[in-house]
Amino acid sequence: MTVNILYLYPDFMSLYGDNGNVRILERRLKDQGFDVKIDKATITDEKISFEDADLVYMGSGFESNRNLAAEHLAKFKAELVKAVEDGVPMLFTGNSYDILGKGITAADGSFVEGLGIFGFTFKEQLEKRYTGDVILKDNATGHRYVGFVNRAGVPDATDGLEFEAIKVIGNVPLKKDGVRKNNLLGISLIGPVLLKNPRLAESFVKIICERKGVEFKETDYPHSIKSHAKTRKALLEADN
Amino acid sequence: MKIRVFTAILVCKIVRRLAKLFGRGSSLPGKYALKICPDILSKLELPELSIAVTGSNGKTSTVEMIAHVLKSNGLKVAYNKEGSNQIEGVVTFLAGDSTMSGRVKSDVVLLEADERYSRYIFKYFHPKYFVINNLYRDQMTRNGHPEFIKSIISQAVYDDMTLILNADDPLVSSFGKDREGTIYFGADKLPTDKPVNEGIYDDGKYCPVCKKPMVYEYYHYNHIGKFRCTSCGFARHDTDHTLTSTKEEGGKASITIDGKYEIPVFFTGIYHCYNILAAFTAAVTAGIAPEKAAESLGGYILRSGRISDFTLGKLDGRLLLSKHENSVSYDRSIDVVVSDNRRKSVMFIVDAISRKYYTSDSSWLWDINFEKLKQTNIDKIILAGQYCDDLAVRFELAGIDEDKTEMFEFVNDAADYCSHNLDSFLYVITCFSDKEKILSIVTRRELA
Repeated sequence: MTVNILYLYPDFMSLYGDNGNVRILERRLKDQGFDVKIDKATITDEKISFEDADLVYMGSGFESNRNLAAEHLAKFKAELVKAVEDGVPMLFTGNSYDILGKGITAADGSFVEGLGIFGFTFKEQLEKRYTGDVILKDNATGHRYVGFVNRAGVPDATDGLEFEAIKVIGNVPLKKDGVRKNNLLGISLIGPVLLKNPRLAESFVKIICERKGVEFKETDYPHSIKSHAKTRKALLEADN
Repeated sequence: MKIRVFTAILVCKIVRRLAKLFGRGSSLPGKYALKICPDILSKLELPELSIAVTGSNGKTSTVEMIAHVLKSNGLKVAYNKEGSNQIEGVVTFLAGDSTMSGRVKSDVVLLEADERYSRYIFKYFHPKYFVINNLYRDQMTRNGHPEFIKSIISQAVYDDMTLILNADDPLVSSFGKDREGTIYFGADKLPTDKPVNEGIYDDGKYCPVCKKPMVYEYYHYNHIGKFRCTSCGFARHDTDHTLTSTKEEGGKASITIDGKYEIPVFFTGIYHCYNILAAFTAAVTAGIAPEKAAESLGGYILRSGRISDFTLGKLDGRLLLSKHENSVSYDRSIDVVVSDNRRKSVMFIVDAISRKYYTSDSSWLWDINFEKLKQTNIDKIILAGQYCDDLAVRFELAGIDEDKTEMFEFVNDAADYCSHNLDSFLYVITCFSDKEKILSIVTRRELA
C-alpha cells in the first residue's frame, strides 16, 4: 500500500534541514510496510492538489519566501481546508505555520494574508532574530516537545495557540505556540522536529495507519528516544 | 570633548597592557574606552586607506593575507589580529594604535568585520573598501539565515564605500546591484566544477532579487557559480580579478589569477582559493601592484590550522577543521575525503556545538551532504560526541551501511576504538569547538 507525502515547497521553504522530517516519516512508514511516494509541489507550480495526499508537510524559509508561498498557497486554500476537515495529517514547522493564521504583519508594515484556518496573527521585524531552545507543553496530551525556534516574528494575537512554552533558553518571547485542528499540527520548532520528538513522529504514523486501515506495529527508535531525553534533560537543567 | 577622547585612549592603552600581562581577552580595553567615550570611533582620525572584510567563512584568513601583502609592501597596518570583531574589539585595536590625540598611527586600518556587528561599527566610520566574501547558512542559531544577514549587512553599507564583492555568490553579488564603481572577483570555469548543485539544499535555486528561478552554467561548489536569473536579468557580473586556473601536480599546487599571476599554494581547496583571490583583489584595489601582491601571497604560509596531521597508535590521520552549524564547510571536508583514493576511515565529532553557548539545535546536520560519502570506499565511519544519536539517525537515513558506523558518546572511547581496531588512514572532521578533544589524544605531525 502506498502512502503519498505531499511535500510543500521543498526547494523554497527548506531552511533548517527541514527535509529531515520528511525523511524520518518516510523511514517510519516504510518500517510499517508501506511504499512511500513523495510528491513535491513548489512555487512555480500552477496547481497543487491535496486530493491524494496522505500527509502534508511544509518547513521554514526566508520571510520573503514564506510570504510568496502564502500568496501561492492561498490559490489552493479551499482544497487545503477541505483536506484539514477530512482529517488528512499535516505538519507545518517553523515559520511556515504562521500562514495558517489570519496573517502576518511583515517588517515593512505590510500585511500578508494568511489562510485563516486559525485566529492568531504574527508580527515580524528584521532587526533581530528570535532564537533559542524551548520546551513546549501540549496540555491536551501532556506531551512535551523539545527543539529550537528561529524566527522573525512573535504572535500579536494568540487565538488558537495551544502549547505552553515551559522553558525558553535564548531570546524567544513566546509564551504560547502551536496549533492543532483534526490531524493538522503547526509548531514553531525548526529542523527535524520528528527526530527529537519521537512521540510526535509516532502519532503521525499511527494516524496514517488508522486512516489506511492498517494495524500499527510498535517499532523501536532508540537513537531518537535518547536524543529527546538528552535534549530535554539539558534544557531543563540549563539557565534561561 | 577632547579630554574624553584622551581619557578613553589612555584607559584603553593601560587596560590593554594590563590585560596582556594577565593574559586576558582582547575586548576589555575597548569596553572601558566606550564607557568613557561612547562615540570614540567617530573621534579617531583614521588613515585614508581602510579595508573591512566580512562574510560567513574565511574572514580571518582573508584579513591575515591582506595584512601580509600590505606589510610586505612597506605599509604599516593596524588590524584586529586577535579576531575580536565586535565593537569593543575594534575600539581596542584602533585606540591602541592611536596617538593620545586620537590619530591612528598606521597607514592602513584593516578590519575583520562581524556580519551582525558591522552595522553598529560603521555608524561611526566608513571603511573605504568593504569586502564581502560569501554568505552561507552559517551559525543560524545566532545568524537567523543568509537573507536576514544580507539585510543586516545592508545597514552597514554606505554610498561612500567601494564594495569588493564575490561575483559568484548571488546573494553577495546582489549588494552591487545599481551601485557604480563596485569591484568584483570570481572564478572562471575550473576542472573541479559541477554541472549540478550537489548539495542537499540549493540556495541559488531562486533569484535573490526577484525570487524567480535561476539557472547555472556551472557550480564551483554549493550555490557558488555562474548563475543567471530567468526573469529579471540579474546574473553573474563580469569580474575585475579572476581565478583563471588551479594546478596540482607532483605534490606542488598553484593558482593563477588574471591569467598571469601564478601563486604557489599549500592546497587548492576552493575556498582557500577564494580567500586568496579576495585578498589579492583588495590589495590591488588598494594600490599594490598586482605582481607585488601575487609575490607576497606566494610567500604567505597559511596559519589557520585548517588541516592538522597526526598519528594515533599505528594510524596516520588528518584533521579537517570544519565549522559546526555550517553545512558548506562540512561539504568541503567531505569532498576531500571522497577525492582520496586510499583506504580510509572517517570520524565525525559533534560534542559541543559552540564554545560560547549551549544549544540542542542539530538541524544543520540535515543540510550536510553525508550521502556523498557513499561515492567512496570507507572502512569505518565513527560518530562521536554528545550528539552521536542525532548523527546516527542522520547517517542511517543517508543510507550508509549500519555495519560501517560505530558510535561513541565520548571522544576518548572513539579514539581508543580507532587505535585498536582500524588499520587505514583516519580522517577526523570536526569544529574549532571540539578539535582539542581529539588533538589532545593524538600526536601531532608536521604537515606532509
